[in-house]
Amino acid sequence: MKAERSRVVLTPEHVLILLEPAGLGSRFVAFSVDLALVLGATVVVSQLASAIPGGAGAVVRALVLLILNWGYHVYFEVRHQGQSPGKRIVGIRVVDGRGLPLGLEQSFVRNVVRVIDALPIGYALGAIACHLDSRRRRLGDIAADTLVVRERRTLDLERRASRARAWNSLRTPRLVRLARHRVGLEERELLSALCLRADALDDAARVGLMEDVGRHYRERLGIDDPHLSGEGVVYGLAGALFPDRLGSPAAAGRGGRSPGPGSRR
Amino acid sequence: MSDARPAGSLDLERFVRERRSRWTRLESLLDAVERLPDHELGATRLLELVRLYRQTCSDLNEARSGTANAALLARLNTLAGRGYRIVYRRSHGRRFTEEAREFFATGAPLAFRRERSYVLAAATAFVLGALLGLGAVIADPANAERLIPPQFHTESPRARVERIEASEERISSLEEAAEFSSFLFSHNIQVSFLAFSLGALTLIGGAWILFYNGVLLGAVAASYLIDGVPAFFMAWVGPHGALELPAIVFGGAAGLRLGSALLLPGPLATGTALRRALPSVWRMLLLTAVVLVAAGLVEGSFSQMTARTIPYPAKIAVAALLFAGLLGWLFARRGAPEAA
Repeated sequence: MKAERSRVVLTPEHVLILLEPAGLGSRFVAFSVDLALVLGATVVVSQLASAIPGGAGAVVRALVLLILNWGYHVYFEVRHQGQSPGKRIVGIRVVDGRGLPLGLEQSFVRNVVRVIDALPIGYALGAIACHLDSRRRRLGDIAADTLVVRERRTLDLERRASRARAWNSLRTPRLVRLARHRVGLEERELLSALCLRADALDDAARVGLMEDVGRHYRERLGIDDPHLSGEGVVYGLAGALFPDRLGSPAAAGRGGRSPGPGSRR
Repeated sequence: MSDARPAGSLDLERFVRERRSRWTRLESLLDAVERLPDHELGATRLLELVRLYRQTCSDLNEARSGTANAALLARLNTLAGRGYRIVYRRSHGRRFTEEAREFFATGAPLAFRRERSYVLAAATAFVLGALLGLGAVIADPANAERLIPPQFHTESPRARVERIEASEERISSLEEAAEFSSFLFSHNIQVSFLAFSLGALTLIGGAWILFYNGVLLGAVAASYLIDGVPAFFMAWVGPHGALELPAIVFGGAAGLRLGSALLLPGPLATGTALRRALPSVWRMLLLTAVVLVAAGLVEGSFSQMTARTIPYPAKIAVAALLFAGLLGWLFARRGAPEAA
């Protein structure tokens, strides 16, 4: 979590909620999806309008397209809690800068200022603003005091823990008992955090860190498998310590793939 | 040793096992509220949502003090944030028709009267530009060529009048009128929203666009005046100009209003200043768009008619009527809104 970029909201319950800004990439993907939908609708509207005889067709077409172009985002942002279809797919949301749902007026303004963000071509100005702003806001967001936040729905922990179970070469009864006995809660917490965040490190740093931690536990728990890398030790230990973490109770039984020395990635 | 729980730490596995059912339940309730915007949850489920939200908040606090587990904290944080948005949102939206009626009857006029100083400032910039353009071209007709972009002065105004009035009606069918109108209002809205945005972000930029457009208008008007065909100009630009020019000024004024909140918030926090400005700003903007659609329709049809179809005085009278109606609706002291 990039706390340093987040805006903090204090709720009346005295809970701090962090609004974590979404990055340019996810916003771009969301926008592309929305753009495709709008373009598709444009084609459909044009076809339908050309069926209307006389001058009415052109005016109807222009009006509908006008409303579609300017209103698409406003409609979804106001009526669907800040999520257009594209944003829903990507898992991001537009919110008020104070963590509340954004109002019609904010949505309207942020989408009108889109014309500047889109300048000179392909949202270049908006992207630059996004890069420079500490909360990743484009100009429209600044003008309307809104924020595009990332939402995390699924508990990554579950997925990662199930992956940790694959490195289960350490799950022998003796070692599990030893580990449960010697590794305290705080340490388990650290181990779990290490597994979760390992991917965020670059390769050299990760391997180095894992080797250090692995060496530590090799000594503490008397693991003498020379084929196991530090990473293997850490993941194996995590898998042994948290066999049914957060998963269904049934998962605990199926855990162990039969271990072989060096059964890593 | 492992069972002794160190102070400040949390048995994460148990914590999650015991509480995850309420988180999942809250998640599904939130999904329901968010996906079906007008769907009423019903009192029982609503109360359940509020209760679950409060519990999740306390879970988040507990988790924060007990663990650094990024994934768990992020999930709870997201959940609490979504709940917060539902529990503390303003009253849910009114019906669209009700909203629209309110907008035209009171919302827009009130916004304009409240922000009249900004409208005045924008109008001043525009009129100053127009006077400058007018004066410059009258003082020295050669200035017209310097001020007006080259693609616009292909022929002298008088020659243009003769050509247009002698030729067939430019708009011969309803289809053409509709086509042309549609192009005009789409384009004009694009341009005035750009002017708005520039004003909102830079203030000076918005004022400059208004001023520059004034100069162009003044210069063109002056060249028709010098050539002795001012009536033609009034009759051809008047009917839609009576709506379009105020609309440009309104859009610019909305930009100035927002820009002053953004750049000159005074003693207020920027967010507060913005939030105070936004209710009038968006109404002014929406009205700008509506008026521009109307102006486009007039420009594409009525404005294009030659003197043989409709005499100049009639066109000019219509222009004056439209202008008075628009301003009367927006700025007259509240009696009966006549032009709505």
